[in-house]
Amino acid sequence: MNTGDSPLRVGPVLRAHGLEKEYGQGAGLVRALDGVDLEVASGETLAVMGPSGCGKSTLLHLLGGLERPSAGEVWLEGRRIDRVSEKALARVRRRAIGFVFQAFHLMDELTAVENVEMPALLAGRAPRAARRQAAELLEQVGLADRAEHLPSALSGGECQRVAIARALSNEPLVLLADEPTGNLDSAATLDVLRLLDSLRSAGQTLLIVTHDDRIAATADRLISMRDGAFVEETRLTHGTTGPLSELAGLEG
Amino acid sequence: MGRVLLVCRLAARDLRRRPTEAVLLLLAIMAATTTLTLGLVLRGVIDKPYQSTREATDGPDVIAALFPRIGGGVDPAEVKALTDAPGVVAYSGPYPVAGAVLEANGRTVVAQAQGRDTAVAQVDQPKPTKGGWVRPGGLVLEAAFAEALDISPGDRVTLKPIDVAASGTQPSVQGRGPGRSFRVAGVAVTAATPPYPEPACLANLCQGDADTGVVWLTRKEALSLYPQRDSFIDVWNLKLADPATAPAFAAERNPPPDAPEGARGSGPPPPLLEAWQDIRDASANLVDNQRRALLTGAWLLAFLAVASVAVLVGGRMADQLRRVGLLKAVGGTPGLIAAVLLAEYVAVALVAAAAGLMVGSLTAPLLTEASAGLLGSAGPRTVTLSTIGLVTALALAVAVAATLVPAVRAARTSTVLALADSARPPRRTGWLIALSAHLPVPLLLGLRVAARRPRRTVLAVVSIAITVSGIVAALAAHADLDGSNGVSADRMDQVLLVITITLIALAAVNAIFVTWATALDARRSSALARALGATPQQVSAGLSAAQVLPALAGALLGIPGGLELIAVADPDAATPSPPLWQLLAVVPGTVLVIAGLTVIPARIGARRPTAQILQSELA
Amino acid sequence: MPEAVRVSSKEPSSGYQLRVVQEVLLALLAKEASHGYQLRARLQLALGPLAEALNAGHVYVTLNRLEKAGFVSSKRIGQADRPDRKVYELTAAGRARVMEWLEDTSWPKPAPAEFHLKLVAAAAAGLADPVRLVDMQRHELLAGLAAAQRAALAEPDGSVAGLLLEGVVLRLQADLRWLEACARHWNDTKGRS
Repeated sequence: MNTGDSPLRVGPVLRAHGLEKEYGQGAGLVRALDGVDLEVASGETLAVMGPSGCGKSTLLHLLGGLERPSAGEVWLEGRRIDRVSEKALARVRRRAIGFVFQAFHLMDELTAVENVEMPALLAGRAPRAARRQAAELLEQVGLADRAEHLPSALSGGECQRVAIARALSNEPLVLLADEPTGNLDSAATLDVLRLLDSLRSAGQTLLIVTHDDRIAATADRLISMRDGAFVEETRLTHGTTGPLSELAGLEG
Repeated sequence: MGRVLLVCRLAARDLRRRPTEAVLLLLAIMAATTTLTLGLVLRGVIDKPYQSTREATDGPDVIAALFPRIGGGVDPAEVKALTDAPGVVAYSGPYPVAGAVLEANGRTVVAQAQGRDTAVAQVDQPKPTKGGWVRPGGLVLEAAFAEALDISPGDRVTLKPIDVAASGTQPSVQGRGPGRSFRVAGVAVTAATPPYPEPACLANLCQGDADTGVVWLTRKEALSLYPQRDSFIDVWNLKLADPATAPAFAAERNPPPDAPEGARGSGPPPPLLEAWQDIRDASANLVDNQRRALLTGAWLLAFLAVASVAVLVGGRMADQLRRVGLLKAVGGTPGLIAAVLLAEYVAVALVAAAAGLMVGSLTAPLLTEASAGLLGSAGPRTVTLSTIGLVTALALAVAVAATLVPAVRAARTSTVLALADSARPPRRTGWLIALSAHLPVPLLLGLRVAARRPRRTVLAVVSIAITVSGIVAALAAHADLDGSNGVSADRMDQVLLVITITLIALAAVNAIFVTWATALDARRSSALARALGATPQQVSAGLSAAQVLPALAGALLGIPGGLELIAVADPDAATPSPPLWQLLAVVPGTVLVIAGLTVIPARIGARRPTAQILQSELA
Repeated sequence: MPEAVRVSSKEPSSGYQLRVVQEVLLALLAKEASHGYQLRARLQLALGPLAEALNAGHVYVTLNRLEKAGFVSSKRIGQADRPDRKVYELTAAGRARVMEWLEDTSWPKPAPAEFHLKLVAAAAAGLADPVRLVDMQRHELLAGLAAAQRAALAEPDGSVAGLLLEGVVLRLQADLRWLEACARHWNDTKGRS
């Protein structure tokens, strides 16, 4: 995990400036992102919410280097990544970014531990080291006993937790999650919720795009998007139990 | 009636939806049917020219070779027994025959020399196609023999007797002494012996194994080749009242086939007789090699077509699953469903059969110009009913073999599963996955991609193995031909070339198609690999590797396969084998070709925008 | 552009809702007579982190009120007026009151009317963008949700207090869902106009 107290990491881990993304052309032009500025500090958990079509997933793809912006800059740990070659982007994704998708995107024919060790193998690590680390990560997410199971034998929540373990495989600077509980029922959502909360406590920088209020509520900071732009931002810091008692109906 | 109509309509609509695939299927099967048509149509191509030659030269119905007694000539009683036999209406002979060495144009070859009269014989008078007949100092060569040696009337040649003493120990036959110089008086065709390069055989007595020809000269000059009279065999030509009885006539008088050779006792061996039908069949050997090559090629192309069709069909069956579910839900029986699935491919197969028959019969004349040694051409080839039947059967067999298993499986899938249209899940091969973890990234990706679809990978290996077998066999056959001259050798080379090119073309199309299908199938895992940090170069190298590795395996299998094939296809010839450098070049050559073919589809497959693919895969 | 960061500025209010504390103390006494501090301990157990604001004074003041109202009776053990030494006991009236309370099925009402009218008025008078108002309110609720959820996650599995916090979370979620619907509606309306 990357704790934010290192003197070298003073600036924000992830920074975006004036991000724009357009699809199509002419009459069919769609403005997915309309000039977005963003900063994510090290160790911070940021949640981005909004109705479907507001551009939050597009934002995540741009920040993770899966797509290139039409305009604007993306800086990852002080290095610009929006204009580099595909090859360099791949290297960036290997080292610095972990991705979690709504549809899990696990390889159906690989077991859980084989799925988790993939990024390490792609980064060129020795197979045995990669396997060992994958087993540790699975233990961290509480699925050590499911290591040899295929995704078809795992529940949705377990699949997503395997996907999260995979995303942590290369000790990324920032974990990007795109609707991580979109395909999960409420019980599985709680499992993932707990995991994300524990990652946050351990100091992992998280950027979560979600429409689930509960997931968003795990964040330090919450941003709402609408029509490709930010409209509202709140710091969800630890509140006192004062207002809690009120919400619970004990005061008033 | 309504069911048949429904089946036809569904099949037609589905074919129209994917015209490229239908065309590919058609071409794949057509390659096999055309080659088979050519091979079948060549049967009997010798018959007409041989008949024309027989008529023009008063060809014999039976040829008899009589052996001389030691120290003397042939026993007249034996001659009488033949000429006075019942059924014989005319005869000519005796003509002395012996082996000789011919030097012409700087080449030394073995020939069978026959002594003749300058006057026209009653039975078997070879007909000169160039120049004239024998005269003192003038030699006549068999027409195909002369063409192979590039000799024309007026050229000078030398004829020598065979040096038996020296020849016994050395591999090639030697001539003795200076020999005698002759002028070539002419070049003639005959029906008494099969044309060059079939070995010169008179009455089944052959001079050597191959590449020997017949020459005629005056009786006196022939006899002067060897001092002893008993070095010569006498040949008599007989004409029968009923030519059809010639084989029976010869069989009666020939020693039984299982008679021990050395049981001669003191006298000369009994006469050897040959019927004209056997000479005609021996002449057919000329095109026999070509026929065999074409038939073997047809089989190879048929297997290759099965592999190609199976790949195409396998991919489509997955898409067909939903249609199958709908048909079942509205009450279709498994039989009807299988019929719908098979109907398309059967239709394509029938069209391919018809097209193959047409193209084959139209291009057959190119191959049927028989030989310079026989008069006339084969005439227009008619496609017999049995040919049509065989070709259609082959086309249907290919279609059914490739589609039966997927069709039955699709028809047996439970309706619910079919309607849900769950895509075929990829297979898991544990040891391959474990192995690939130790390899560099492109091979890791490539091996895993190939392992997801084992059936398709095996088909790719098989099709490359078939193609390489064909190439190796063709190279071996070509090496065997090397040095042979003449029209039939050239023709054989052409046939080999055409078959090889067709095999390669079909295999190439197959490879491109398989790569494309794999790239499509693997697009999600490719996008995922890129999202997890693989560069596009690594991913496209992996997609290529997924084709190249099976191609390597196929090429390695194809080499022994090809050598086995040529041994099976040509059992009489000593197992030829292509030069070592060619064999060694086949494997890297195949790998390079496949790598080159698959580069572009692989690159395209690796460069699709990641986010779109991953997004569109939302469950 | 994001608005200035909002921090929850509400102070904890001065007193617990007395009625609730009254009823629950009566119910806790139904099993057996107890000291004041015992009752306080059991309340803290049930409320978990929300019991922070509940101090000794609260409980004793309420017990006094209940005694005056005739629902409990107290006995002095030992000497002096130290509150610890009193043992409290339910009276018959108190017992009746407990049963009444337990069987009462009245439920705190959802009250969306005020906010709903706020949005309508804003739209009608053109004073503010209803969608913006919704976003602001959503963030406010989410802050509460975050606090409740954090407290819920901190509770061990199966804790009774955790159940209470889960209730807070789920109710807030329901409200947030309605707010989402409001946002959709007013957004569409904006689009149509």
